[in-house]
Amino acid sequence: MINLQRSVSSALTIAEIEARKIRHDSTELWMRAVQPALWLLVFGEVFNAIRSSSLSIPGYSYIQYIAPGVLAQSVLFVAIFYGITIVWERDVGLLTKLLSTPSPRISVVVGKTLAAGVRGIFQGVMVFALALIIGINLRFDPLDVAGVFITAVLLAMCFASLSMTLASFLKTRDRMMGIGQAITMPLFFASNAIYPVSLMPVWLQYVSKFNPLSYGVDAMRSMLLTGDYSTLPVDIFALLLFTLFFIACASVVLKRLIE
Amino acid sequence: MKAIEVDSLTKVYSNGTKAVDDVSFSVEEGEVFGLLGPNGAGKTTAIKMITTLARPTAGLIRVFGIDTQRAPQEVRQMLGFVPQAISVDGDLTGYENLLIFAKLFFVDREERKKRILDALEYFGLADRANELVKNYSGGMMRRLEIAQALVNRPRILFLDEPSIGLDPYSKNQVIQQIQELNKEFGTTILVTTHDMTEADTLCNRLAIMNMGKIAISGAPADLKHSVGGDVLTVKLTGQAAASLPAGLGTVVSSEQGTIKILTDNGERAIPRLTEYLERNGAVVESVSLSRPTLDDVFMKYAKASLQQEGTFREARSARRSIARHAK
Repeated sequence: MINLQRSVSSALTIAEIEARKIRHDSTELWMRAVQPALWLLVFGEVFNAIRSSSLSIPGYSYIQYIAPGVLAQSVLFVAIFYGITIVWERDVGLLTKLLSTPSPRISVVVGKTLAAGVRGIFQGVMVFALALIIGINLRFDPLDVAGVFITAVLLAMCFASLSMTLASFLKTRDRMMGIGQAITMPLFFASNAIYPVSLMPVWLQYVSKFNPLSYGVDAMRSMLLTGDYSTLPVDIFALLLFTLFFIACASVVLKRLIE
Repeated sequence: MKAIEVDSLTKVYSNGTKAVDDVSFSVEEGEVFGLLGPNGAGKTTAIKMITTLARPTAGLIRVFGIDTQRAPQEVRQMLGFVPQAISVDGDLTGYENLLIFAKLFFVDREERKKRILDALEYFGLADRANELVKNYSGGMMRRLEIAQALVNRPRILFLDEPSIGLDPYSKNQVIQQIQELNKEFGTTILVTTHDMTEADTLCNRLAIMNMGKIAISGAPADLKHSVGGDVLTVKLTGQAAASLPAGLGTVVSSEQGTIKILTDNGERAIPRLTEYLERNGAVVESVSLSRPTLDDVFMKYAKASLQQEGTFREARSARRSIARHAK
């Protein structure tokens, strides 16, 4: 019992480090709003104008359709670079120091993913603000909004732990930069973020079944847009499963970074 | 009780390098123990294994009687660790750096604040506690780092090259504080260093590692003695004695008004020697004393694998790590 309590408290402390850093300097957070803004303002508006009937779900405009996708994607982009952060922390000795405390390894990993979650929430706030400013019609029901934030946190935790698992094997910042670039776009394009899965070639539809991003987008879309919760339990369950799996992987292999 | 017992410790890395090769030693409670040796000798790897950061390939380590492989978390709760590279978090304030560690070591909420303020006060950082650490000087960062390792009141403190990259003044300050810590609180300290003068002032006992093995260990004075006694070089005119009375020393060489004498305690021998020589008709012009230093000990036991390249790389990385934080 004491052990569980200590694990949770350590994880929260490690997330707290990140929160305190953001409080000291939030520049990066604002910069992170640029990309979703571009996707909504430029990409969304242009494709909205095309108004291809096959591109949108009947009854919704294209920009409405991609708003949840853009949110999920911006969370992915934030979280996937946590592997680089952890390699950097290894390089400057911060990781060694963290691991020399009595905190269990899993707390270090969970703490970092929670930190990614904090950033995920900010991305959510940014996208909601943008949606309000440019007048994208979404369901702003408080429960739905809360659900979207929870999904954003889960997505962030999922990709941050995936990224830390990769970092434990790749070990250098340069390689992590490379892999970050190499997997974010495929994850993005092999998902339902900016077009429905049904428009994909069949093989890609199968790939998208193993893409955590698709489940996140689907969950957000059902809460923000359709209000149809029929697939929500499956989405959240799949996302949880992916997240737990990657957290377990990262906790086991993390110590490779300092050996 | 022994603070650390290391028994036939071996570490082989996956690429086949044998970093630590069947090493055994022990550190007494309350002792300052130095681990010296050239770069790549295996000091850092040994420390990593004792602090449970790396898994031994073979061998047994006990910290205050607790097996590090059986109960790593329990062991970590007792120790403070200051790694080689400066690793305080530049994006947090000094106070926050300590707060985070107090929390990670499960220091009671009521006691936390007091301990942090005490530590900051002790290391002369109280007035800059709420400033971001990236604005600190290298010496301040090092002190903060040691303060950070102390918030959990460790029974044993590991310092991996605590003075690397510091100017002489900051270095002195750090050494003094380490000594005080040992005297006031009886904290056992294990330190690695390349600075022999530092090792000489700090350590009660030390071990020199070379190529993964311990080449020699003992108290600094004994080690220095083992590479030879004090040498007195005497310049004189007139009749030089060919031999000296017992207890003064032995003449090693004697030529054209200069004699070299090997003796146990040079300082005490000087007045007696001068008196003896003058009584025997010589006029002593000057006496100089040279004593063996830990450098001599180091050179004798570690020179086989001194690698220039390694030294250079290490120095560069230390400089980089300071520069990074100073930005």
